[in-house]
Amino acid sequence: MSMTKKMMAALAITGSLISAPTLADTVKIGMNVPLTGFAAADGKSALLGAELAVEQANAEGGINGTQIELVRYDDQASPKHSVPIANKLIGQDEVSVAISGSYSGATRAAAGIFQSEGVPYISAFAVHPDITKSGDYVFRTSFVGEVQGRAGAKLVGEMLGKKRVVVITLKNDFGKSLAAGFKSKAADFGIDIINEYEYSIKDRQFGPIVTKVKSDKPDAIYASGYFFTAGPLVAQLRSAGIDVPVIGQEGYDSEKFIDIAGPSSEGVLITTSLDRDATVAETKDFISAFEAKAGYKADMVAASGHTAAKVAIAAMRKAGTTDRQAIRDAIAATNMVASTGTISFNDLGEVKKDVQVQVVKDGAWHHYAVIDDKELLAPPVE
Amino acid sequence: MLYVELLAQGLVQGSIYALVAVGLTLVYGLLRILHVAHAGLFTLGGYIGVLVTNATGSLLLALVVSMLVVGLLGMAIYRLCYQPILDKPPYVALIASIGLFIAMEEIYRIAFGPYGISYENPPLQDVVHIFGITLRLGEVAVGIGTLVLIGALALFASKTRFGTVWRATVTDPEMAESFGVDIIKVRYLNFFIGSALAAVAGVMVALLNNLVEPTMGSVPSYKALAIIVLGGLGDVRGTLLAALALGVIEAYGTIYLGNYLDRDAIAFAFLILVLMVRPQGLFGRA
Repeated sequence: MSMTKKMMAALAITGSLISAPTLADTVKIGMNVPLTGFAAADGKSALLGAELAVEQANAEGGINGTQIELVRYDDQASPKHSVPIANKLIGQDEVSVAISGSYSGATRAAAGIFQSEGVPYISAFAVHPDITKSGDYVFRTSFVGEVQGRAGAKLVGEMLGKKRVVVITLKNDFGKSLAAGFKSKAADFGIDIINEYEYSIKDRQFGPIVTKVKSDKPDAIYASGYFFTAGPLVAQLRSAGIDVPVIGQEGYDSEKFIDIAGPSSEGVLITTSLDRDATVAETKDFISAFEAKAGYKADMVAASGHTAAKVAIAAMRKAGTTDRQAIRDAIAATNMVASTGTISFNDLGEVKKDVQVQVVKDGAWHHYAVIDDKELLAPPVE
Repeated sequence: MLYVELLAQGLVQGSIYALVAVGLTLVYGLLRILHVAHAGLFTLGGYIGVLVTNATGSLLLALVVSMLVVGLLGMAIYRLCYQPILDKPPYVALIASIGLFIAMEEIYRIAFGPYGISYENPPLQDVVHIFGITLRLGEVAVGIGTLVLIGALALFASKTRFGTVWRATVTDPEMAESFGVDIIKVRYLNFFIGSALAAVAGVMVALLNNLVEPTMGSVPSYKALAIIVLGGLGDVRGTLLAALALGVIEAYGTIYLGNYLDRDAIAFAFLILVLMVRPQGLFGRA
């Protein structure tokens, strides 16, 4: 770099530093999101989804004429980072509301801080039940694991009519809560769980489990995981000659799952929040706008980031002020159509919406069914 | 039959561990450095394997390119990272190595994206039946490839002139040097061979999982350390046996202990048990 270029770069950097305070009349939404480390892929989708919601809102005039600024920090999906980030967002950036684009560990730790400082906080896709139990300022726009697990039981036992089921569980809060929900309703749908296995999030080679499942001869496999564990798992199940239905959840919900598992992914069913073949304008618009912005297809995490930011923005508009209490009340009263469905919250701050069932067909996610059984899908109230 | 299939799965996994751990034990034997960044080379091996296969359609070419590039990079790491700090206490090199490993993970993330990459048409996925066991061709290739490579390494070390020089340098570097051995050359070769083996492991793991991610090396980074301790630090034969033993124990453990201990916990519980009885490792000499 030549001297002049260096000086220009330096000037540009100082310029942007100086110009920052002049933007003080923006409304700030804080976000903790993993941008490095093992969860960086989901973090990227969640961030792009949230950015899209902010850009769309700003194009429509922001919050009653004031532009919205998304202040985000990388939490590496770790509570060790999300806690200082929460303090920074509240104390230094003075955000009016915050969203989490991170996993449960990081979100749960940050939720306590936002609650005690009285800043509304919306978890986009973290599943741990304790997150919303932090208090009345904490909300969640995605299903808790148990709800999705119950929907999975209905899908397997009633809609597919499969009774002898092997459960393969990812050994973290996500997988465990899905399995708990599935098992709580399994008997109601006539499901006999003939064996259960657990694996760790670092596992990619499932040879021993696959070998054992083969000898179990199940009618269906309910396997929790993320695309980076489920992709190899499904491919390895299929290549071992196990061709019974595999039922997953929103953790599979990525194009990447289909890339990894290849032809083995055909026919895999998942319970999730995003309907690729949606006829609802909001969801259709989101899917095309996201692809234009990100350069890859929308997934559940992207839609969840978008939904969480949209709920925050709608609440700020309705409140018409940056007063955090007023924004909290507006979020609690949410009733809106978002890319992940029609959203409202119960008293605990848990979302009420339908579960989408998607299937891999011809190398892409497609609509399979919708589960809208209000009683089955009732989120926890305490 | 289930037990035999589990044994086969364990041996496949153990072979992968062996390919990674041998390089690590070679470096330890020669320089007394715990080369954590070795696992970063393993990841790079996987990336190059997938990228070259997708570009050319040839897995064999990918394997050769991967071994060469990763082998050379291993030499560069020795030259640029370890050589300048060889006279410092061992923990300095260890810290440098850990830092380098973390940096490598983030460089892969920036260069190749956070989602990881996959083979467009994964090779060697056909299923074969041997003595009633079902295995993928890729798994068979892992097992045979490991035996051939490590066998060749053993032959090279015991039957060739350079092999003798190499072993002499490991046993007593100063004596070897006084006999006119170019120990710098030995170190380069050592890093090249160890790194190239890790590259093979990376390509193979990519084949079995059809996924290469920036953090693919995180488990091998510490598990390989456990294996070389089990094998009696610096001992190639011990490392091979320890790696296979660990693969098999994990395979059975995943099924029969999986609800109490996860795979890594099983490995480290085994390590602790062995060290309580044999502090010098399974095959190390006291």
